[in-house]
Amino acid sequence: MSALERIHSALDALPAARAAAAARLRTLGLPPRNHEDWRYANLAALEAVADFRSHAAAAPPSALPTGLPEPLPGHARLLLVDGRLAAGTSLPTGLRATAPTAASAAADDAGAGLLRFGLLASALAPTPLAFEFDGEGALELLLVATPGATGYASIELRLAPQAKLQLAERHAGSTGPQGLACHHLSLRLADGAQLRHQRLLALGGQGLQLDTLDAVVGASSLYQQRCMVAGAGTVRSSQSLRLAGRGAQLDWQGLAAGSGRDVRDILLALRHEAPETVSSQLFRGIADGRARVACTADAYVAASAPGTRLAQSLRGLIDGEGAEVDLRPRLTILTDAVQASHGATTGRLDEDLLFYLLARGLDAAEARALLKWAFLGEVFAGCEPAALRVAAERAIAAQLRERPPAELLQ
Amino acid sequence: MSALLEIEGLRARVAGTEVLKGLTLAVPAGEVHAIMGPNGSGKSTLAHVLAGRPGYEITAGSARFAGADLLAMAPEERARAGLFLGFQYPVEIAGVNNAYLLRAALNARRRARGEPEVDAFDFLALVRGKMKTMQMDEAFLARGVNEGFSGGEKKRNEILQMLVLEPTLAVLDETDSGLDIDALKVVSQGINTLRSPDRAVVLVTHYQRLLDHVAPDRVHVLARGRIVQSGGPELALELEKRGYDWLLEGASAA
Repeated sequence: MSALERIHSALDALPAARAAAAARLRTLGLPPRNHEDWRYANLAALEAVADFRSHAAAAPPSALPTGLPEPLPGHARLLLVDGRLAAGTSLPTGLRATAPTAASAAADDAGAGLLRFGLLASALAPTPLAFEFDGEGALELLLVATPGATGYASIELRLAPQAKLQLAERHAGSTGPQGLACHHLSLRLADGAQLRHQRLLALGGQGLQLDTLDAVVGASSLYQQRCMVAGAGTVRSSQSLRLAGRGAQLDWQGLAAGSGRDVRDILLALRHEAPETVSSQLFRGIADGRARVACTADAYVAASAPGTRLAQSLRGLIDGEGAEVDLRPRLTILTDAVQASHGATTGRLDEDLLFYLLARGLDAAEARALLKWAFLGEVFAGCEPAALRVAAERAIAAQLRERPPAELLQ
Repeated sequence: MSALLEIEGLRARVAGTEVLKGLTLAVPAGEVHAIMGPNGSGKSTLAHVLAGRPGYEITAGSARFAGADLLAMAPEERARAGLFLGFQYPVEIAGVNNAYLLRAALNARRRARGEPEVDAFDFLALVRGKMKTMQMDEAFLARGVNEGFSGGEKKRNEILQMLVLEPTLAVLDETDSGLDIDALKVVSQGINTLRSPDRAVVLVTHYQRLLDHVAPDRVHVLARGRIVQSGGPELALELEKRGYDWLLEGASAA
């Protein structure tokens, strides 16, 4: 059976509560491979997935995998193994469980085509989760994949007015070459809320990771996301980011590193829908070996959003003979009184900078590593907590076969 | 005894054009040599060829540094062996801080000499003293290499690196360009600090004013890819008065 037929087979076994997401997904089908938004997503990797049925839904809970990262200091931890809530979970004060609605929300979204793998996650997640958060706190969301498994996770998070949350999202473990990690994170920020969201997508192995995120940012609220992709064979991150209230702000930073035949494909669909909204998108990608790294930043400023300010900076570094970086800034502006800037550049390591370091006696490998870390430095700057930054640097270093900065700078 | 730097009949091409056309030069240890010459004569090319910059094709001749075949060495090997190039246009490297580069460079040189690496504490003590000589604020250490530095600050930073690394041979490519009078004095003082019987300095410069502060032992005129005249410090004064034309005629005849 083809991947699509096997996905349908998995959907057939669903309880009625998820029927809406399943039905919507059946209608949408798989993305057309020649569509600009999916050109770099490596949809062929779906064919390698051994089984689209949720591993965790079919199997009894097993012992926690060994080698989990240490909990982040000051953070409560929400732990999911192959999408199922696991022992070791703690919730911060102010976080309250509610009934999940993400499946229908995504199905109603005008950009559902972009979020279709989020529908798959919502339909098949063994433990769909939904929370409301009020007050101030810090939460670590640890999603662990086990070898050979197909895991789905669906999490909704709503921030109350004026709430402030630090969310550290980590993807650890390994799917194996035929595995799938598919997850959907749905975020809603009420007026005046602040969400500082660090994401580390660093699965081991050569499997497929399909990441879907949709966020709606209310008036005078702030959503900061730092998305660091350094794992799995193929990673596709589809993100719908809506600045829906007056004065809403988005600060998005991302980096992706790939080697071998890795694929890293990030697509941002950003909509400025309200007046005086502000956003920035900064992306740095490094492709080594024969890897493909792509980032599309598709920004739309509606007629209802005068006074918008928007800045995009996308940069890529090609470090392998067969490597490829594709950066696509897109701006669609339907109103006057907008300040917008964008830039996209791709190239190899600057030979002048390299020679300067060599002329000071640094060996070539160290000089190249330094310049790569310097290239990524803007995204790492301000990454907190420090333990997450160190983990991210190690994951990137493993991808690039370089020493992490902490060792280089000893 | 042979000179610290011995160049013999050196020919080099850049992008298919021959720039150095049989250059011969000897710089003994303990001496400062100035290389002057009109624009496009090959001064910077010589500096870069000595440091091993890619993109320069050596077609003939030799260059020996402390008895070793300089041209057979990689750029980083030359640096670790004690050759320092002071760049005419130092690059900015955002994200790599000065302190790290200085310490990494120093330890690379020390490892090459079989010496133990300096730890962070000893390094800081060392670099603080050198920064005082160069009248630089310690805040520069935490900044990216030359990031946002003025032209004068970049040149001071080059000399600071030189003082920390204590090279056997410093080749300074127009280190005086872009400096005001006060900065020129500070940079000159830094260069003079390095002078010793076992080291040599090659100053590539357009102007006598640097030589007012760093007295050269020998002055060479490089024109059309060759040394066409050598002399004592008085040659620089004569060039200041007469320019290069009188020498270029001789070079053409040769």
